[in-house]
Amino acid sequence: MDQNRLTRRRFIISVIALSGAAGAVVEPGLFALSKAWAESPGRVDETVRRNMVRMARLLYPHDALSDGVYANVLEQTLSNIVSGDIFARQLEEANTALTERSAGAWQDLDLVAQIEAMKSIESETYFAAIQNSVRAGIYNGSAFWKHVGYPGPSKDFGGYLHHGAGEIDWLPENL
Amino acid sequence: MSRRYEFDDDSVVVVVGSGAGGGTVSNELAQKGVDVVCLEAGNRLSLADVVNDAAVMDGKMGWHDKRLGAPAWLCKTVGGTTMRWSGITPRFRDFEFRPRSTYAELHGTNLIDWPLTLEELSPYYDKAEAKMGISGTHGTPPSFETSNYKVLKAGGQRVGYQQITSERSAINSVTRDGRPACQQIGFCWSGCAVGAKWSTLYTEIPKAEMTDHFELRTGAMALKIRHDNNGKVRSVVYVDSGGVVHEQKARAVCVAGNVVETTRLLHNSNSNLFPEGLGNSTGHLGRNYMRHVMSLTLAIMPGEVNFHRGARQSGIILDEQRHDDSRGFAGGYIIETVADQPYNIAAMIGGWGKETADFLENYTRVAGCWITGEDPPEAHNRITFHATERDAYGLPVPVLEYSHHANSVAMRQHAAQQCETIYKSLGAKRVESRPDVGGGCHNMGVARMSERPADGVTNRWGRLHEMPNLFVSDGSLFPSSAAPNPTLTIVALAIRQAEHIADAMARREL
Repeated sequence: MDQNRLTRRRFIISVIALSGAAGAVVEPGLFALSKAWAESPGRVDETVRRNMVRMARLLYPHDALSDGVYANVLEQTLSNIVSGDIFARQLEEANTALTERSAGAWQDLDLVAQIEAMKSIESETYFAAIQNSVRAGIYNGSAFWKHVGYPGPSKDFGGYLHHGAGEIDWLPENL
Repeated sequence: MSRRYEFDDDSVVVVVGSGAGGGTVSNELAQKGVDVVCLEAGNRLSLADVVNDAAVMDGKMGWHDKRLGAPAWLCKTVGGTTMRWSGITPRFRDFEFRPRSTYAELHGTNLIDWPLTLEELSPYYDKAEAKMGISGTHGTPPSFETSNYKVLKAGGQRVGYQQITSERSAINSVTRDGRPACQQIGFCWSGCAVGAKWSTLYTEIPKAEMTDHFELRTGAMALKIRHDNNGKVRSVVYVDSGGVVHEQKARAVCVAGNVVETTRLLHNSNSNLFPEGLGNSTGHLGRNYMRHVMSLTLAIMPGEVNFHRGARQSGIILDEQRHDDSRGFAGGYIIETVADQPYNIAAMIGGWGKETADFLENYTRVAGCWITGEDPPEAHNRITFHATERDAYGLPVPVLEYSHHANSVAMRQHAAQQCETIYKSLGAKRVESRPDVGGGCHNMGVARMSERPADGVTNRWGRLHEMPNLFVSDGSLFPSSAAPNPTLTIVALAIRQAEHIADAMARREL
């Protein structure tokens, strides 16, 4: 998992470098990701991809994050040389299991039913693998950090001693 | 700068490990003119190697050789777990040296009193605090009050706690001892980038090197301690990072590899004289492994806290560090602020779906604390070795067998309720407690000190009962865990032990 996180971080850094805007958060669009996935033949097909992006969002739903952010998290795990192929199979297993538990397409169920189907597979190994990937990708990711106002590393600006440490304005006077 | 010793120089004390115990005992001996060779399995980092990235730093300093069973959060690097610790340094209280006398018999436990008292250790606590620059002691000011601490303090006052303090941290509160004051960087668990937090990497080790009585060998993994026909230790066998095996002769040996490696080295040094391993003729080696009772509480507060802005642990409440039967459990606990980055908060809260995500949406409004509480010794909580699995050194893989005593479960339930009340008293919107978060960062027992040889592995100086010149110098010595974070007591015991060893050498008894 650590390696996945590293891979992702390197990816973000390179995207930022390419965009020429240090500090900017660049979310690759769905189009670009579809292209990347299509260029990895045999990994996962379009239906699996769409369902798994949906599942990733339902695992850790943040309205402020686009589908592209969730898709990118899965893509980064898939691109891992060591575990990428295993992860592709785990996505397919999850997709198959969700489909089997749905009358029709899982994607077409209402939200409550989609979550119910996910709960029925949450003790499976593949589910844990996907959950771990999404949790690490989202919460170690700059898109979420930017959304909630967490700056990440602070060493380079000298820590918070002169940058807001100890500031709190709502504590009651009367204790 | 550093002295070099010959492999057949049998005048040296060999210290295994360079963390809180090993680094301290090494420097204390060297300062007294005793020649020391310190073997450290890991590499030597510099401050420039420290980055604000938990995964990268875990790769640089974590202990990743294969282990089975309960996870332990240890380090393989010069400085050991002093690179990773938070610096919280309360003293034991008097009753915590006498758990058997104070708690009477706790079902299923193996309680004994310490073979020393608070009165006896107090001068060494003083020396340890002065050495480490503990905030609020010996003229050093209290630590900076982070917003997370201010929340804990306000809530603690509301529920009636009296002993709330930002003192007792081994992170410099002022520039001191050639190291800067804390810059509130907030990644303490990944190594301190400015060296404000006491670590033997940049205190004890370089100070020992300045004496000309000390040599540090990094990448040196101890494999076996050898002794003569009379049971007197004569050498330590180790493998260097190039795979070459060496044998360093020794006048005495101090083992400080943290509980897992200390147990493994003594166990693997078995011989005709000691078939069950060194110090194990009464069967206590590796047993009575203790980890501290831990419970985490995180709360979404009515306003911004931004607990990432500052030291991970910046203040404590000591009121519950007492024995009081009416609470429904024996022993005490300490409430301590804790903060972490979003990923770890998600991992600690656990689960998935809207509830977990909503908690993380409120990241900047989260305040947090956890407790460390006394974990009673149980014989079946122990470190054993796998019958067939071997690690990269060819050594049997350690297995950490650990379960929670009913006393610990009762304690952490009480603690969770207290911590939740603290935050609710300030209008917390949502409060979440999780048991056993952080388990495995405090590791104690396995070679405990005892008055009677039948009750433990080591005597009141940390010397093996059954060997004249083999010492244990880390948290393995603890007969009980008490409530406080263990490092201050490890350092105090190491200072005391070094004094004992140097005196014994001067008297030609060692």
